[in-house]
Amino acid sequence: MSDLTTYANQIAVVKQECPDANDEEIGKEFQRYESDFLIPPEDALRSVIRKFQAATGVEVTSGSTTQVREEKKVQRFSELGSDDRNVSVEVAVISYTPRTQMVRGEEKQIAFGWIEDNPWEASSERIRWDYKDWGNKAEAMVPGSIVRLEGVSVNEWNDKKSLNINRTTRVTVLKEGGGSAPPTSNEPMTIARASEVGGFVNVVGRVMSAKPDVIVRKDGSGELNVVRGRISDSSGSIGFLSWKEFEHEEGALVKIVGASVRKFRETPEIQINDGTVIETYRDTSFPEVAELTESEKVSISNLRDGMRDVSITLQVENWNQRTFETKDGDSRVVRSGDIMDPTGRCRLTAWCEFDPKPGDIIRIDGGRVQSWQGSPDLVIDNLEQVKILTETPWEKIDPDNHWVDVDLDSLRKGGSRRGISTSGAIVAIMPGSGIIERCPECRTILRDGSCPEHGPQRGEEDLRLRFVLDNGVSNANLYMAREATEAFLGMSMDDVKGEISSIGNDSFLSNLRNRVLSRKVVVHGRCVVDDRGAMVFADRMEVMDPKPAEEAEEVMQRWGVVL
Amino acid sequence: MSGSSTFRGRQSAVRIFAQEYSESSLIERGVGEYDPSFVITKLGAKVNRCLVCGGLERMERRDGDSGPFYRGQVRDPSGTHYFDVAPFQPELHPDAEELLARFESGDSVLVSIVGRQKSNESEDGGIFTSLRAESFTEVGLEDYKSWMVDAADATLRRLEAYDSSQGEELTEESLRKVGVPEDLVDGLIKSKEHYAEFDTEAYRVWILKAFSRALGSSEEDLDADLEPVGIETAPVEQIEVQSTGGGDPREVILGILGSNGGELVEYEDLVGACISAGASREDAENAVMSLKDDTREISEPKFGFFSISE
Repeated sequence: MSDLTTYANQIAVVKQECPDANDEEIGKEFQRYESDFLIPPEDALRSVIRKFQAATGVEVTSGSTTQVREEKKVQRFSELGSDDRNVSVEVAVISYTPRTQMVRGEEKQIAFGWIEDNPWEASSERIRWDYKDWGNKAEAMVPGSIVRLEGVSVNEWNDKKSLNINRTTRVTVLKEGGGSAPPTSNEPMTIARASEVGGFVNVVGRVMSAKPDVIVRKDGSGELNVVRGRISDSSGSIGFLSWKEFEHEEGALVKIVGASVRKFRETPEIQINDGTVIETYRDTSFPEVAELTESEKVSISNLRDGMRDVSITLQVENWNQRTFETKDGDSRVVRSGDIMDPTGRCRLTAWCEFDPKPGDIIRIDGGRVQSWQGSPDLVIDNLEQVKILTETPWEKIDPDNHWVDVDLDSLRKGGSRRGISTSGAIVAIMPGSGIIERCPECRTILRDGSCPEHGPQRGEEDLRLRFVLDNGVSNANLYMAREATEAFLGMSMDDVKGEISSIGNDSFLSNLRNRVLSRKVVVHGRCVVDDRGAMVFADRMEVMDPKPAEEAEEVMQRWGVVL
Repeated sequence: MSGSSTFRGRQSAVRIFAQEYSESSLIERGVGEYDPSFVITKLGAKVNRCLVCGGLERMERRDGDSGPFYRGQVRDPSGTHYFDVAPFQPELHPDAEELLARFESGDSVLVSIVGRQKSNESEDGGIFTSLRAESFTEVGLEDYKSWMVDAADATLRRLEAYDSSQGEELTEESLRKVGVPEDLVDGLIKSKEHYAEFDTEAYRVWILKAFSRALGSSEEDLDADLEPVGIETAPVEQIEVQSTGGGDPREVILGILGSNGGELVEYEDLVGACISAGASREDAENAVMSLKDDTREISEPKFGFFSISE
């Protein structure tokens, strides 16, 4: 179906406002909104009209003429563009972390932290941004307070926008911080809670490890001495990074006040800086190191990109090695394989001469986690980090039939992982389902026969399906590549092509809709979670037969309903 | 797509019975351009998108300024969901046509709909909630039963959250503490600030109905959802013509019942006609009750079906 017919009604409306605009381009714009931003044409209408008003030189009615230095007042961060200056906005201050930084040979007091827009509403209604304070506004930027910022500028780096508070920025306190906002109090929280909430925290924990480390500045301006380690309590364990001296030894019990939790990749980490107070804490009933070591052990389902010092027990499924050439022309060997534990599966990469056999049980101490194709995978760098165990801590896992059932809610809240199965109802068939064309160079899907990177191409046909899986509370995008699609449809790609050419793509999709829409399905595959949501890449999908009587009994039992 | 920090993610499809949805009068409109809007129900569900199911009770095509569109109703154990397929959804029109043909031929059709919240406000402030279909499909009886179980499950979950929030301070923290699930916290706070205390017993009644139908213990009741029990109801067109006459719900009702030769008309159809003539739901329902009980100008020969008094 061409964009022109799909959006005929919207195009007509746009044409009324902008008679000079080209129909096809308007259609493309709606298509772009719909497929790239998931914004349906009726919602995109305003934006599209505005765009073509600007493009065709029609006077823009909303008064947003590009007078650069004029003050721009906004309610929400979403209204800000990457080159907005002199912005005025009301925000809630979430954290304020002062730091001394050398700028052009001069020691300068700066600070960074989090602010949230829409400060008078519940936190679920807000958007959080990073900010940097170059203007020494520590007195006004108290965590927990609500302030009006006048004269801030937007900074965009790596597709991420943040705000810069400058010397000339005016900060007006609208609501004093402290009191109700929990992070500003002196009360410690559990480490599990601190990892979850982020921002300013106080914790009590036992130092499990503490080693000096050196951070080399990327711009070559020198090195920084830091201390890295872990602290634990009975709720969990978290890594820390201290920017100042850390004098407590392994095993010491400490109270840390005014540290901030930031994420390194997907892993929360406690940052100890100039303003943080660390004191020895006394509690004879606090668990000892040996006891806490147990709680430090993780399983595959807990792995997150960026973790360090990982201790974990695993079963090896297969093992390979390959040789490759580095940039300098040296040849290097890398070994890797698929590994499992009762909570799932992932990959292990070894940069050392480690050669386990399939079925071996191995124990890793001090491993690290890196993301590969969106899934967190384990890495070991030397043989001291791994040993092969003689005892199996669990019944041998059958690699051919090892799927861990995870409900959509936990999937959505957890990290990326492999080897999962989950269920829900299909609530949408997304555009780009069926036969698609890919760029022969980079496999990107072609739009109108053209690749954004490599220009017009003779595309290679491929088959895939895209759905939305939904259980009423959480949802995930569901992708099925060619093999899984063929198995699910019971048709080869050629069959699908034949059917589409005989009945048309709309009828193909309509048949598909009748078959899957609102049906409950079980999928097996891997899951990638980022801040936009969860994506499930399914190896296979089955539509479940409804069993209403059984389902009713189960639900009635769950809620204690008697007929 | 830059600025990922502003991306909100897709709204999940709330499983909800018609009654809970149609009783809602609290609308939360998104402030920013891409912010979602919600219908907030008495039980605190924040509905932007939902998955509903039921017997197709009405389906019609209309022509508007921007092209043809479709209107329909599906009935579940609790009441009726109103939905439409908009002119700007031409990809759905072939399927809507097919559904229309099936309906007009008199077939009993069970439909499952994924819809987005929609609401209209009448001049006197009455709120009428409906759905804009995103996609829909015909389903089998077993699928329908299974959906009823899911909707009952979801409603019971909300009822429990509602019950445990009783007497608690309306803050996120205190509701979390008593175990209100994360997705209901905000909605429950707002709903309790907006709606008066109400008796949840009625909700439990249609949950029980749904269970007994899902268990297959009352096949007859299922037919009730599929077809208005073989009673001759006034054709849709006639109701619409009459309803454009004026805004007073009493006149609309008397107009319909006075001109159809004594045929029985169902409650929801009368109320629906009044609403589309500009009355609020509350006024329409009051008008029906007042005509029946006070002035006795209409009567209810069979439960839920009305005619002009002899």
